[in-house]
Parts: sequence; C-alpha cells; structure tokens
Amino acid sequence: MTPLRRRGAALAAVLSAALVITACGSDGDDTGDATVKARSVKADNGTIEVPAEPQRVATIGNTTLPFIDLGGKPIGLTAESDSNVKLLPEDQQATYAAATILAPSADEVDMEKLASLKPDLILAQIPDAEFELIEKRLEAIAPTVFFGLDTEWKALAGGLAEAGNLTDRFSQQKAEFEGKVTKIQETYREIIDETSFVDVIRWASSDPGTFAIADIGCSEIARDDVGMDFPKAPAGADPLAWTSLPFEQISSLSKYDAITYPVDAKGQPTEPFAPVVETNTWKALPAVNSGRALGVFCPGNNSYGSVVRYLDSLASVLATLPAKK
Amino acid sequence: MTTLALRQDGPGTVTVPGPRRRLLGLVVALVVLVVLLVLSVMIGSTSIPPSAVWDALFHSSADIDQFAIRDYRLPRAIVGLVVGVALGLSGALIQALTRNPLADPGILGVHAGASFAVTVAVGLLGVRDVQGYMWFAFAGALVVTLMVLALGSTRQGSSPVVMVLAGVCVGAVLGGAREALQLTNPDAFDAMRSWNAGSIAGRPLEVVWPILPFVAVALVLAFVVAGPLNAMALGDELAVAQGVRLARTRVLAIVALSLLAGGATAIAGPIVFVGLMVPHVARWIVGPHQGWIFAYSILLAPSLVLVSDILGRVVIRPGEIPVGVVTAFVGAPVLIALVRRRKASGL
Amino acid sequence: MRLEWRSIIVCAVLALAIACIAVLALMTGSYTLSPGQVVSALTGGETGLVHEIVVEWRLPRVAAALVFGAALGVSGAVFQSMLRNPLADPGLIGFTQGSYTGALIVILLVNGSYVQLAGGALLGGMATAVAVYAFAYRRGVQGFRLIIVGIGVSAMLESLNTWLILKADLEQAMAAVAWGVGSLNGVSWDQVVVGGTCVLVLLLLAGMLSRPMRQMELGDDAAAAQGVRVAAARLGLVVVGVALTAAVTAASGPIIFVSLVAPQIARRLARTAGITLVPAAFVGALLCLAADYIAQHVAPTPLPVGIITVILGGGYLGWLLFTEARRRL
Repeated sequence: MTPLRRRGAALAAVLSAALVITACGSDGDDTGDATVKARSVKADNGTIEVPAEPQRVATIGNTTLPFIDLGGKPIGLTAESDSNVKLLPEDQQATYAAATILAPSADEVDMEKLASLKPDLILAQIPDAEFELIEKRLEAIAPTVFFGLDTEWKALAGGLAEAGNLTDRFSQQKAEFEGKVTKIQETYREIIDETSFVDVIRWASSDPGTFAIADIGCSEIARDDVGMDFPKAPAGADPLAWTSLPFEQISSLSKYDAITYPVDAKGQPTEPFAPVVETNTWKALPAVNSGRALGVFCPGNNSYGSVVRYLDSLASVLATLPAKK
Repeated sequence: MTTLALRQDGPGTVTVPGPRRRLLGLVVALVVLVVLLVLSVMIGSTSIPPSAVWDALFHSSADIDQFAIRDYRLPRAIVGLVVGVALGLSGALIQALTRNPLADPGILGVHAGASFAVTVAVGLLGVRDVQGYMWFAFAGALVVTLMVLALGSTRQGSSPVVMVLAGVCVGAVLGGAREALQLTNPDAFDAMRSWNAGSIAGRPLEVVWPILPFVAVALVLAFVVAGPLNAMALGDELAVAQGVRLARTRVLAIVALSLLAGGATAIAGPIVFVGLMVPHVARWIVGPHQGWIFAYSILLAPSLVLVSDILGRVVIRPGEIPVGVVTAFVGAPVLIALVRRRKASGL
Repeated sequence: MRLEWRSIIVCAVLALAIACIAVLALMTGSYTLSPGQVVSALTGGETGLVHEIVVEWRLPRVAAALVFGAALGVSGAVFQSMLRNPLADPGLIGFTQGSYTGALIVILLVNGSYVQLAGGALLGGMATAVAVYAFAYRRGVQGFRLIIVGIGVSAMLESLNTWLILKADLEQAMAAVAWGVGSLNGVSWDQVVVGGTCVLVLLLLAGMLSRPMRQMELGDDAAAAQGVRVAAARLGLVVVGVALTAAVTAASGPIIFVSLVAPQIARRLARTAGITLVPAAFVGALLCLAADYIAQHVAPTPLPVGIITVILGGGYLGWLLFTEARRRL
C-alpha cells in the first residue's frame, strides 16, 4: 500500500519480491536468528525485519496518533500538541498519558532516553531530511520503520498496522469507514450531486482578521471519498488553505450553496474560528441566513477512528440541511 | 570604557535646511499621510467602488461591502496611524537618549519583554485573542524597560552605553526563555507565530482606545524633554552647565518611550525597523534638532506603516502579507540608498 | 602576541572548567552507564549500543561544542575589534539572517536533505554577507555605512524569515526554529571532522591577523602609520570572521549569541584593554559546552543548545555589567 517513493527502479524490483513475503506474514528470511520470530515489512527506508509480535513500540512524529488509534500502546512517543490530544477518545488519551515523552517535538528526540526504554520497534513519520539525520542512531537502538511525509493517511495506517501487528483492528476500522462512506452516499445522493459546498477554517496560527478555504483536512475526505462538491486547488498549485484571506473576503463565500465550518465536540465554533462567526459580514451571508452554514466536528484526519467520527458529524449535519430554494 | 563607546555623530557636512524649509517639509509629510489614510480605506483585498466607500462612511446600511469598510478598513487605518506615531516617536526618543543614531526601541528590551509576557499568557495561561494579549504585552514592555533602566544606572546616574548592553542582555535572556517555552509547547508556538510577525489587521478599535491615553501622555512628555535632550547631545557636562537635570530628563524620556513602544507592541505585535529607520532619516532631513526630529517622525512613521500595509494587501491578492513583514522591504532599500548617497564621513 | 599573566591564568582556569564539564558530559546521560563502561568504551573495549552511545553520540557532541564554541568566540572578537562596537558580530553584516533564510528555504520549500541544508545555509549567509559588503562599498568600506547597510538587509531577511515560518506547517516551522537557534542534537563525527578542520585553519589565519587587528583598534590612520595595509587587513578579518561562523552554522545551525557575548566576557575576565582572541575562544568553548550540558541534562526536556547559550551568556554578561557599574562608583 505504501506508495513507492524516491528509491527508483532498483528498489522497486526488490520490493515486488518482498511483497509476496510480506503478504505471508511471519515467514521472513530470518537466517539463524531463531530466538525471536521475525517478519519483514516494507517501508520508505527499505524492507525492515521486525519482531513478529512487537511488545515495546516507540512512535516518532506523525505515527503516534494513528498508532494509538489502531489500538497500539506505545511505550515512548514524541509529544503531540495538547489541542490534538484533547480531541482523542478517553481510552486513547490514557494510552498517550501512560507513554514516556521522548521530545517536545519530533525533531529533538532524546536518543539516550529512547535507548533506555529498550524498544523492539520504532515507527517514524517525519520529514525526510530529519530522518536522514537520525536514521543510523534509531537503527542502532531497534528496527525502525519509516514513512515519508507524503504517505497518504490510509497507507500510513496500513503500514503501521502491519509493522505493529495490529492488522485485525485495521481491517475492522477500514470496513467501518467504507461502510459509513457508502451510507452517506446513498442517503444524501441528491444533496451531494446538487449542492456546491465550501469548507472554511481558521487556525490558532492564523493572522488576526483572516480565515482560509480548507481544501485539505477533513473536507478533503468529504470531497475525495464521499464525492461532495468542495473547491480544490488546480493540480500542481499550493492548496487553497495556504492562503489566509482577510475577513473582507468572507463576502466571496456567497457564491456557494452551503458552508461547512469547524466546531468542537459540543457543536460550538472552535476557538480560533469564533471571530469569523461574530463578524457582520458572516452574518450577512445568504447561506448563513438560510441555515445552510453547517458546523462539522473534525477530530483529526490521519487515522480511521478520527475520520469515522468526522463522517458521523457530517452525516448528522447533512440531515439538517434545508432544501434548496 | 573607550572601546565600548558607540560611535556618536561626527560633525555632519550636510547643509541643514532653515526653519521655513523644515516647516514646508512638515506640511508635505502631513499631506502624504492624509492621502495614505484615504488610500488605506479605498484599497483592499476586495474591490469596492469609491461610491460604496463614501456610502459606507456617510450613509450606512447593512450592505455586505459596507461592513468591509466600516468593520475592517477604517479601524485598520486608525490602528496603523496610532501604531506608526508611537513607533516613530519612541525610536526618535531612544536615539536621542542613547546618542546612538542606530538605536531601536527594541534595544532596551521592549519587544523581548512584550513577547515574553505574551508567550507566558498564551502558553501557560491559555489566552488566545488580541484583546487578551494586549495588557500582557504592555505590562511586559514596561517592566522590562524599567529593569533595563535599573540595570544600566549607577548612583551617579544612568549611562546610555551600559543601558544598551543591559538591554541586549535582558532581551536575549528573555528571548531564550521565550523560545524554550515555545519549543516545548507546540500550541503556544502555533498561536504566537502570527503575533510575532506584527500586523495591524483584524484589530478592533477596542484595542486602540485603552492605549490612546498612554500615547497622549507620552507625546506631551516627549516634547517636554526635547529641549533638554538637544542640550545633552553636546555632552552631559555642557548640558548640566545649561541647567539641564540629566537624571530627570532620562527618566521622563524612558517613561515616554516605553509607553509608546509598549503601546504599539501591545496593539500590533513587534514591528521592527520603523522605529529605527524613520527617526534616522528624519535626522538626515532636519539635522540635530530633537523637536523637529520628533515632529517629522510622528508624520513619516505612520506613512511608512500605511504604505507597507497597503502594499501587503495587494501584492498577493486575495491573500495578505502582515505589515511587520513589509515595512523592512519598503524601508530598507530607502535607507541603503540614502546612506550610499550621503557625502558625510562620520555620520 | 604577548599575553599578560592574568590572561594566562584565566585561560588555564577556563581550560580546567572545560575539562571537568567534558568528563561530566561523557559520563552522564539518560541512558545510564557506569564510569567503568564509559572508560572501556573510550579505549575500545565495548561493542554494540554502549560503544555507539559513548563514541558515536556523546563524544562528537562534546568535540563539536568545544570547537564550534571557540570558533564563535573568535569570530565575534574579530568583528567587535574591527568595528570597535561591543554589539558587533557576523550577524551585523547579515550573515546570520542570510544563512537562516537559506536554511528555511531548504527546510520549508525544497524539503531537502541534511547536506542541502548545510549548503543552503552557507550559500544564503555568504551571499548576504557579500551583498552587504557590496552595497556598503563606495570608494572603500567604512564601518558606519557597513553597519547601516547590514541592519537594512538583515531587517529585510528577518521579515522574510518570519513570513516563511508563518506560512509553514507547524511541525516544519518548529524544526526550522530549532535549527535557527542552533542545536547540537544528532551531531556526528562527519560534521565535527569537516567543520572542525575548517575551524582550525581559520583560527590559525585569525591568529596571523591578530597583530594588524590590534593596531587597527587604535584607528585606521594610526594603524596605517605603523605599516598596516588597512583595507586588505579589514577584508581579511571580515572573511575570517564570517567563515568561522559559516563553518559552525553549516554544521549545527547558528548557535546564537556566543559570538556576541564571549569576547565581552573574556575581556572582563582577563581585564584587557581591547578585545583578545585566545580568551574569547576559551570562553566561547566553555559557554557552548556548559550550555549543551544544561540543554541535554538539566532542562526538563532536551532543548536546542542555542536557547541555553543565550540565557547563560546574556545572564552572565548582564551580571558582569551590573557589578562593573557598581564598582566604578
């Protein structure tokens, strides 16, 4: 599932052979190392020998939350921001709190602390350049499975499940996700086909008095998986979300039939987004006046569990959407 | 202490214009400022016809374009004006006080103090909006300036050179502590990124009103100390001989400049370069006369802020660049061109 | 160069402190090792993870802190002496901001490798320094004009850097900022050997230029009267000063503030009239080493060393100023 990147044809040849081996699970080419059963998994840093049933897993960078979402219990991890952790279900928050924090962010990992935890598997998704810098050290500690930043979230979940021996839970989550998508498509066929949507966002880092059109994040799933009509940046261009628009531009949202905006678990606009809702310009928008501005809860867009929670929220607001005039 | 002494103004070889020319220049600067204020309301990220702008100001209705003028552009022009005046004057004060033509209000730790206080507010206390940051920034700026004043003072009075070094040290220590807080707290880092850039966009006028009395008091103080500062430019002993009370003048000047720089930072975040460049250029125009330098700085600094802000709105339409990023790009080439044209060797 | 007794004693005490901290840094870490294991690893008696931790992780880090710290101290001393300004360092002619811009472009826009990062930083810094020098050149370079042009160009680059960080993804922005304050995290022998060789050559050159440098402190005319070729010596000093910082920046990011504060502390400890190179080198090395030890072991979470050099160096210089002001009453 992991998209092949960078390594070119030579690696592709090796990998196509490895695919067969990987699919079979535990029949790795463990020559002589008979004490621990090993498997091979393929990742962006090659084909890696990992323990058949890893017990002490450390997660670095973007692998932490998806791994916990798969039911994994890392012993060490790099810190996630408080705001992300708060969005997790309670059992996952407990798992996060039980692990040792290796670094405040993924680029300053305390290698000796990591080594002293004696992990048997390390999972990492960080920028290529940063991984290049710490690759040798990680591998001196334990087998390391690395995914580049452009690995799509579904492929990442698959790769993590395989490396961490969590494939049962993975298949279950994937089926649940696909079921939800189909259900939404069937129930709201007409709305999906006839309504032009736009998703707007404001982050904590946005300049005061600005917002953005979100074409990355949760609504990307609504657009690409569910098939709803959300705006998309032209191929090759930067995502629309990278341009922060001044509040003046809120008036340009009037060309869309319906607007989705971020709310918290209780249905209130998220703290960064609240200033948008309070503007006179927002209140004057036709979509807002006709009840066609929908608050959707997005607990994360990089693991099946959080995406399923997003789809639930999306389905519940689509049910309240008034018919078009 | 000789190697520590910052280079002072040497005898300039440039002819300084007479009072009438200076007054004429002042009027021109005023006209430019007014024109820029008008443009600041006319030009924005969306195109709104001039007639609608007129209506928005004088025949208000609930039209969506009118909200844009009244809620965003007009407050922004006023914020730019207040911030610019405060930055320009505080820069003129610090340069006069330290007799260093390259001093910036930031050199006394104003920005470092404000940034540190805002980081504490954001990182540890969870404050998230401009109105909340404001008082932390203001208090941080004032406390740190007073600390630097205390550090740089002896029983004989304060020495500008020691004060500048003390300011750099305090600023560095607070900057380090701030970075440590930010790098260990991604949420705070994220929320601080935009504040750090310095912007006058999206500030409601409620942010300006509470700062205005402080700016007004500081304006008065600045012109009170202009005369004594002029005398001090020739050396402390000569100034004392003319009846100047050194300690009193320095304390008043520092109170004024920290109110101004602190107020501007509280509203807009750390906007650098304006306070350094504008008074410096003003001194080139009018010569070493503090009153005139102050007056020119008060008019030229908001012009630089407004020009930069207008440019920031149009260059990457429909997005915008915060004014704190643009000021240096507008100002620095002017400064470099000027320094290359000057015939003076000392200054 | 004739060293006075006080300078020699100060340097000896600094060297002793450096040695103590170096031993401490090798012995301690969050992976617990006995002193016996460390000694045995250093003498080649260990293999596997223990060898890796002591010889490949802790040792290059100590070496890097020493060499790079000394380089920064000397670099700052050269600039402060040349411009006769206590706030001068290579940042003044835009090198620091320029290298940061280069690095940011590599980290945020190109998403390049580590070698590209070092190259980007070098290129950015050098290009900026050359641009500043060229803008300031008008029938010779004169200190004041150099400072103004440096401030202007630096301000522009700083704005650009703020903008790049503002527009970047959170995680990349944090990585970029951590690089921007300088970090010895993950320093390997490769970087120490390459960077260290450059630094040693440059330190020798700086030593050769120290005589004209001291003469120029008395003024360009006085130096010329003593037979110093002022323009050539100044260009040489700029190049050496910038290249020293460049070598460090390429290897570990701009470890900020050491070059500004080390010469000032050294001058006050050794009580010399002007800026001296050797004590500045020792103070720089000690500052970096101590800061890195604190950054790794004392702070609740590991921090980039640059944050601690700023706090330690700024705090100590502030304290020195305070006592100095009291003493001179």
